[in-house]
Amino acid sequence: MKECNIVIAGVGGQGVLLTAEILGNSALIEGYDVRVSEIHGMAQRGGSVVCDVRIGKRVYAPTIPDGMADIMLGLEPIETLRYLRFTSSKTLIIMNTRLVKPSSVLMGIAKDLSSHDIIQIINRYYNNTVLIDAMDIAIKAGSPIVQNIVMLGALASTNHLPMNINTLKESIKQLVSPKYLELNIRAFELGVKAGKANLSSRH
Amino acid sequence: MGNEAIARGAIEAGVKVVTTYPGTPSSEIADNLSHVAKDAGIYMEYSTNEIVAVEVAAGASLCGVRSLSCMKHVGLNVASDALITLAYTGVRGGFVIVSADDPGCWSSQNEQDNRYYALLANLPCLEPSNSQEAKDWIVYAFDLSEKFELPILFRTTTRISHALAPVKLGSIRERIDRGEFIPEVKRFVMVPDFARVRHVALINKMESVKEISENSSFNKIIRDEGKIGFVTSGASFNYTMEAIDILGIEASVLKIGMIHPFPEQLVKDFIKGFEEVFVVEELEPYIENAVRSSASSLGSVKINGKLNNFLPRNGELSTSIVTRALAKSLGRPLPRNFISDIPFEEIQKSLPPRPPILCPGCPHRATFYAMKKAMKDIQINCTDIGCYALGIQAPLKIGDLLICMGASVGAACGISKVQERPVVAIVGDSTFFHASIPGLINAVYNNHRIILIVLDNYATAMTGFQPHPGTGITGIGTQGKRVIIEEVVKGCGVEHIEVVDPYNVKQTCDALKRAIEYSGPSVVVARQKCSLLATQEKRRQGLKIIPYRVIEDRCTKCLACIKALGCPAINIFNGTVLIDANICTGCSVCAQVCPYKAIEISRDEADEGM
Repeated sequence: MKECNIVIAGVGGQGVLLTAEILGNSALIEGYDVRVSEIHGMAQRGGSVVCDVRIGKRVYAPTIPDGMADIMLGLEPIETLRYLRFTSSKTLIIMNTRLVKPSSVLMGIAKDLSSHDIIQIINRYYNNTVLIDAMDIAIKAGSPIVQNIVMLGALASTNHLPMNINTLKESIKQLVSPKYLELNIRAFELGVKAGKANLSSRH
Repeated sequence: MGNEAIARGAIEAGVKVVTTYPGTPSSEIADNLSHVAKDAGIYMEYSTNEIVAVEVAAGASLCGVRSLSCMKHVGLNVASDALITLAYTGVRGGFVIVSADDPGCWSSQNEQDNRYYALLANLPCLEPSNSQEAKDWIVYAFDLSEKFELPILFRTTTRISHALAPVKLGSIRERIDRGEFIPEVKRFVMVPDFARVRHVALINKMESVKEISENSSFNKIIRDEGKIGFVTSGASFNYTMEAIDILGIEASVLKIGMIHPFPEQLVKDFIKGFEEVFVVEELEPYIENAVRSSASSLGSVKINGKLNNFLPRNGELSTSIVTRALAKSLGRPLPRNFISDIPFEEIQKSLPPRPPILCPGCPHRATFYAMKKAMKDIQINCTDIGCYALGIQAPLKIGDLLICMGASVGAACGISKVQERPVVAIVGDSTFFHASIPGLINAVYNNHRIILIVLDNYATAMTGFQPHPGTGITGIGTQGKRVIIEEVVKGCGVEHIEVVDPYNVKQTCDALKRAIEYSGPSVVVARQKCSLLATQEKRRQGLKIIPYRVIEDRCTKCLACIKALGCPAINIFNGTVLIDANICTGCSVCAQVCPYKAIEISRDEADEGM
């Protein structure tokens, strides 16, 4: 099996770490070697968060070298752009188009950037993309909180992961509190559907 | 996670006493042990600071039980006074001290290299390169500690502590639960006459440990081919292995797991015959200096490291950094797929920054707002280690000086002596207990006119809501005695003390104004539960969090709320100011700030418009 490097980018509070753990745990269930890098503490509070998941037969470092990500899972568009150094034009970009405006923009200190601008940049450089509004779908599933799981579903729909969809679901069951399990599974399934629809509409 | 692996390893080794002061990236070790302590029969405590943590664990170890102390790298500075003399007395039950270093300053005020503490104290030091080693070696560290009756330093870094990787578990050994302190005055009472003798004993013990270092599997040749040699350890070992693969180099790799005592002979034998040796390590040239010393008698080997600028002396390494440095040094081309064909630097330049900020409803934000209002922003703000350091971000911009735990108080004393502007020291509740009390007593004793603001949010919030003396909750989850901050302050001799609720803006402003007018040291305790913690608790209890909302026809879009507070719950959407009902905690501060009374509590769910 080929190595699979996944970068997950987002904003603190969006569930970047949980998403990474679900992916890592799924790979482990299927017998792969895995490394997941996390950053905790100061860097987490509402700021930009990035997390790497590396799956393969034998993995050493928990962090992905520049340009070598197979998949970029962007939970937020600005943060997706911030970590493009890990991607190349061959990288599959799975991006939530729903923007979370940084306070620097709200206070007028930094220039605004629209979701539309970002989609244009992504489409200019990448051929392989799945761009979906995870907020809309998460609300349909029951809560905006599960946008990360919607995105995970969209990723699962692409067949770019070495793991089976059912293993991902099993992993969600293991890691999400039973109280919110139904919501998360619903979000995952809607994400899978949205991912498939997005892919087919482009081909 | 590496930290979970360490916690598991400690359990397998039969640890009885676990102490810590939380600090990223070490916190999850003790937190995980805290969660299971009661069921597992382990004693776990959040000590007031790191030196107390080491002393408590050492005391238990001297009675013959196995003990563990965990801290972040800078925590070991605090504990170092105890550590260095403990090396002389030695221990009885196995005693391991974990120091989690933070190259890259992901969550720290510096990126010091704690391997030098092993050298300074002359204590054995192990450094794992992944979670499995972290788990296995911690068990060995306890055995080693007991065998030589020495404390063992166990050094990790962020990328070991916070990396998730598979771990095969081992069996749990039988634990010794009770011990006895058997006095041995010449060994344990470090008056000069006895200390001199114990120093010799330490040197002799470490000679024996060195033999283990020369022959143990901790220091191991992982690859053995080609004319180039690599000496590396910890996280750097992983980057080295990947860089060698990426560049397709024939090379040998020696991984150092026992950093001190350094296996000089092993290294000498390894590098003999190589044309070139690369030392790959993060931060200081610690291994490099040892390798250069080992190689000094060998003559012609070229050694590459920090001292000839092969690698930088600051920050984290990565596979990318090591690969690039190596390609450059060996004159090899980088593989095509290694260079991103995306103009990411240019794209990055156009992005608005997103630094970490205070959470929605954070009570610190409310206190900082009141400070700016009451003090007219003329004061110097000495801030400290905790979430409140995030106050430096716009619009609050509170924080002119930050050094280390408790330094705000001492530094404020000095500033107050030589300038007229009011000086504020800002500490959190946990930081107050950790390191601020001696500074406060100093302010009283020497009559420094400082204003100490204690931000009491009932938790060591930044590191994961660990309890502290002010909460009274113990490490095993029981309710113990609460130590009340204002009573301690009073006991220190402070005569002007006020306790306020920062969510009450007027009350807080008035108290701050009185504090600033006072002629001696004054203290204001701003008490309100961390908003993350409060929200979690409400959710758990099934209580509703009632958000605030903007009354559209009253809002003049003056943006006073956004400009004054910068709360992430307040947004502008299509030109309208909106409060995000999903993240608003209902703290009410924005409603108090709004000059047009255009913010009010949502009366019913249907009004939220979500």
